[in-house]
Amino acid sequence: MRNTYLQILQLVTGILIAILLGIHMVLMHLDAILGFFGIDVGEPASWESMIDRAGQGIWAGLYIALLAFIIYHAFNGLRNIILELTPSARTEHIVTWTIIVFGIIVFIWGTYVPIALLVS
Amino acid sequence: MKQTQPRQNYLGVGGWVWAGKYKLERYLYILHRVTGLGILFFMLIHLCMATVFRIQGQDIWEATMVLLHNPWFKIGEYLVCAAFVYHALNGLRLILQELGFTLGRPTPPIYPYKDSLRKKRPWTIAMAVVIVILALIFFYDFIAGGW
Repeated sequence: MRNTYLQILQLVTGILIAILLGIHMVLMHLDAILGFFGIDVGEPASWESMIDRAGQGIWAGLYIALLAFIIYHAFNGLRNIILELTPSARTEHIVTWTIIVFGIIVFIWGTYVPIALLVS
Repeated sequence: MKQTQPRQNYLGVGGWVWAGKYKLERYLYILHRVTGLGILFFMLIHLCMATVFRIQGQDIWEATMVLLHNPWFKIGEYLVCAAFVYHALNGLRLILQELGFTLGRPTPPIYPYKDSLRKKRPWTIAMAVVIVILALIFFYDFIAGGW
């Protein structure tokens, strides 16, 4: 039953990531095509553009939300793949907790810099 | 009493890739898995880049950007874009199927059987066409951006 709820969360985060990461990908990689439609994003990977976005709360919030969704989706997906090898209950327990701890570390590590840049 | 031995048919990881005649959707599923792991791997590298080098200020960031404009990195970046497009759209199809859409009505099994996998095949083809178009759009922009 618990795995059913995890799987439903996997679907919901999948849709949210498709939207948020879609925005990120289009902004970062489709600058020439956006320019064709009259939207000038400049050079999105330059320092000025990056610092400008990092100083706006909405972008920092979107990126932190995206990070949370991606970490859940990616690590739950990795767990699903590992558990398909039908490990013993003890191994499953170890895998689950390793992934939870690693996910939390990655989330803290990934949110530290956006928050530091937003506050400064 | 004669004890029946279970058939030794456990294929392990090899069975994910090949266990007889898999249909198109099954290979798409394997590719879904591979692209997912690839994006997970890229995500960890991307986080390193976006934290360790960004917090050290403008000079380090710009030096990193010069390094990342290497054509090999650009090819890798394009592969990540294509993997994202594939994973997103194939994932959308998987979600629709998991919730029971695009499968068609159940029908009585009268010969010749038409299973739901073949009934939903047009959706798979449509998805593949959209993926190819989006991948080409990204490719155009990578070329236009001068690699």
